[in-house]
Amino acid sequence: MNLRRQILLVSLLTLILPWAGCQFIRETESALREGQQQMLGGTAKAIADSLSQFPYEMLPNDGVDTHAYAHPLITAPLIDGYSDDWTIPEGAINTMRGTDGPIRYVLGQHRQNWYVYVEVRDSAVVYTDATTVGNRGVNADAVTLISVDSTDNQTSFRFAAEAPGKITATRRTGNLSLDEPRIDAHWQDMADGYRLEARIPRNLTGSRIGVSVFNTADAMRAGVTSTSFSGQAPGSVATVSPVLQSVTAGYVQPGLRLIITDKDGWRLAQAGSISTSGAGETAQDPPSGWLRLIYNLLLEPGAETAFADPAPGGRELQSYVSEALDGRMATRWFRSTETGRAIVSVAQPVWSGNVQTGVVILQQGTDAILSLTNQALTRLIILTLIATVVVAVVLLGYASWLSVRIRHLSEAAEHALDDKRLRSALPSALAGDEVGDLSRSFSNVLRQLGIYNDYLQSLAGKLSHELRTPLTIVRSSLENLEHEALTDEALEYTARAKEGTDRLRRILNAMSEANRTEAMIESAEPEDFDPGPALSSTVNAYAGAWPDRQFKFRNDTKAVSVHGSPELIIQMLDKLVDNAVDFTAPGDEITVSLTEEPGGVAIAVNNPGPPLPDEMRTELFHSLVSVRKGDDGKHLGFGLFVARLIAEGHSGTIEADNTTEGVQFTVHLPTTGKASG
Amino acid sequence: MGMAMHRRNVANCGPDSLFTGFMSKRIAIIEDEQAIRENYAAAFRREGYSVELYDARKPAMDAFEARLPNLVVIDINLKDEVEGGFELCRELRSRSSDLPIIFLTARDSEFDAVSGLRLGADDYLTKDISLPHLMARVAALFRRLDAMQKPKGEQNRLNRGDLELDIDRMTVRWKNQPVGLTLTEFWMVHALARYPGHVKNRQQLMDAAQAVLDDNTITSHIKRIRRKFVAIDAGFSNVETVYGMGYRWLSD
Repeated sequence: MNLRRQILLVSLLTLILPWAGCQFIRETESALREGQQQMLGGTAKAIADSLSQFPYEMLPNDGVDTHAYAHPLITAPLIDGYSDDWTIPEGAINTMRGTDGPIRYVLGQHRQNWYVYVEVRDSAVVYTDATTVGNRGVNADAVTLISVDSTDNQTSFRFAAEAPGKITATRRTGNLSLDEPRIDAHWQDMADGYRLEARIPRNLTGSRIGVSVFNTADAMRAGVTSTSFSGQAPGSVATVSPVLQSVTAGYVQPGLRLIITDKDGWRLAQAGSISTSGAGETAQDPPSGWLRLIYNLLLEPGAETAFADPAPGGRELQSYVSEALDGRMATRWFRSTETGRAIVSVAQPVWSGNVQTGVVILQQGTDAILSLTNQALTRLIILTLIATVVVAVVLLGYASWLSVRIRHLSEAAEHALDDKRLRSALPSALAGDEVGDLSRSFSNVLRQLGIYNDYLQSLAGKLSHELRTPLTIVRSSLENLEHEALTDEALEYTARAKEGTDRLRRILNAMSEANRTEAMIESAEPEDFDPGPALSSTVNAYAGAWPDRQFKFRNDTKAVSVHGSPELIIQMLDKLVDNAVDFTAPGDEITVSLTEEPGGVAIAVNNPGPPLPDEMRTELFHSLVSVRKGDDGKHLGFGLFVARLIAEGHSGTIEADNTTEGVQFTVHLPTTGKASG
Repeated sequence: MGMAMHRRNVANCGPDSLFTGFMSKRIAIIEDEQAIRENYAAAFRREGYSVELYDARKPAMDAFEARLPNLVVIDINLKDEVEGGFELCRELRSRSSDLPIIFLTARDSEFDAVSGLRLGADDYLTKDISLPHLMARVAALFRRLDAMQKPKGEQNRLNRGDLELDIDRMTVRWKNQPVGLTLTEFWMVHALARYPGHVKNRQQLMDAAQAVLDDNTITSHIKRIRRKFVAIDAGFSNVETVYGMGYRWLSD
């Protein structure tokens, strides 16, 4: 993993900032919620205390179980047989079993009237006949509203139609049946039955009301009666209390919903709304998309997704309400199905004396908190995101800069190492940091290496110089000795000794050749010349020098011009060919080729000799390096070094490669661009 | 074979010399390495020369104040002076313009050779040279000195167009102007010009110059020869390099 990635990875640690921020916001939020819950609990307690003075409003039908709920209607429905103008919550309609399918019915209350809506599945609607009405054994489909007053007197209101449309109800008390003109009713046929909508003034009924439906398939047959209640008489009907409603209205604040139920959970009053739209200060568009997703993920943890709205059936039966109905205060957190926001609900029992008369339910949205936390969260997310990006970018830049420096340093060091000579200061040499230190110690090492290398290169020259004097002594002594009277044997020895000195001299010459070549390169008078003819002539001459090798010259160039000394180039070729001859067997073919390449020419010497060891390929061109093993001491490894000196003296490069056929030495020389004559 | 001829020449020219009379020629060797000095001395004495030996510049100059030798062999690197030989050469040349001076040194760099010859030395030899070769050169220098004393003879000349070689005096003229060649250079030019158009390889040139020279040194010599001709005639191009083979003299 490179430095940049490492530092980038480290920069990911800055993501801990948003996390810490979120933790903080979360804690703040839960503290705020706690406070809100406490406050709401206090309010609920106060309301409950104040409601203790309305025991009769709370317990209107004491002693009788409530079985039905008359929904408070905001507007009076038109009595037309349709329920679409009933302002009741979805799911408020009750069902009971009927012979031809479920019978749907609902009770409503507006001002001083009851409203009834009944929908009956009936495969065959049997209308009543005015002529036969009352005759024994003649039946018709009918809906009956059964009312029982506080003195257990039962009154029923029968709705039967002669034809669809407006109908008149029949009131029956005891055995007395009378048309009741105060009741409005409308009968409407459906595809698979009929429906009935009616308005009954409240003063006509008692507090206990039930619905029964009589269904017959034929006027002459007996029918079946379905009732909304079990037993002989219906239970009481719960509905909103105008007194409580007006009392609660005083407590309601924006964003607060207040529900009062009786001791069984039937809703007696409801006011306010937890939706705060239009509440001004806390109004804020709910965050959308991913931002909301983040909020939901980060905040409001553990919020139940249960339905927090008032029960459509009119009876609050949720668990926390049940707890309150059992006399304990309870609190729940909900999540609004509309906005997804948290809602806190507090259910507080209401006591009148030591009798529990009901429950106060207070619900409040957490919009204020949410908006606060949302703002904080938004700011936090934006700020930390910016911080993270800035830190990441800065660190990335820093890492890039650092790695570029280190890479430059390493490249320069490698380059200098290849050269075995430190030509210029390494990058970052003046920097005060660790990279600078590294650069300086690199420089130091390379300089030492360069000094050592220079020493090695000059060693041969110096050594040959120093050895020349004793060699001269030996030589001149031997030459003098030849003039003395020597036996034949002694002459033989002196001849051998002279041979040895000759060889020694050649070695010394080879050793100092590099130095002399360097001097030659410096003092050479370079000219622009076409290397083709010179090389061609030279390669021809090699055939004479090494008759047991085959030489081939290939020239792929046309009138190229190289700036330099032809003698030195030829000397370089001599070295390369000399080397090639040494590594080939008699009869082998050595090819010298001159080819054009971008910006210059390449002089290549190919021979079919054994491949070079890989690690030696650049080392070969250094002083005192030879790949030969166990040779006769003739090769000290100066030839290729001299070739390299000449190539580099001409701003060229030299390289050795193994080819499929053998070994290729290539010298790349720059051309001057203009063709020579 | 060539050596024998020279030796005979030396023997012959000795008594004829006006300078030395019947006395043997005196050679001074200034060399700080005693063994080499003695070996050279022995070789010279064997040839009939009388030899004076010095190991430093100062004693040599002191002795030369009284009397100049007939030929001086100088090592550049003297006992306490790294370039004492050059200094000595300069001083001697200021005292005598025709005293043959030979540098015989272990220093084989081009730069040193050029410096030495520029100071007026007649030859610059490295210690690689064998004693017989050295003897031949010394003899040749004496012979040239003798020839200078004699009236110009016509017999031993070589004319190749604008080139005129006086083999006795070992002088060269190009377009009637003298070209100042060293002994080595003269022998090389002679070898090339004798058979114009023929390529002389390095070995042949080496043999002609009576020296063991490596390729680089031959190249430098040829370069120096060309430069000297070009100094007289900018259009000179008669010494041609035949790459890989050697050099040849081109006739006009």
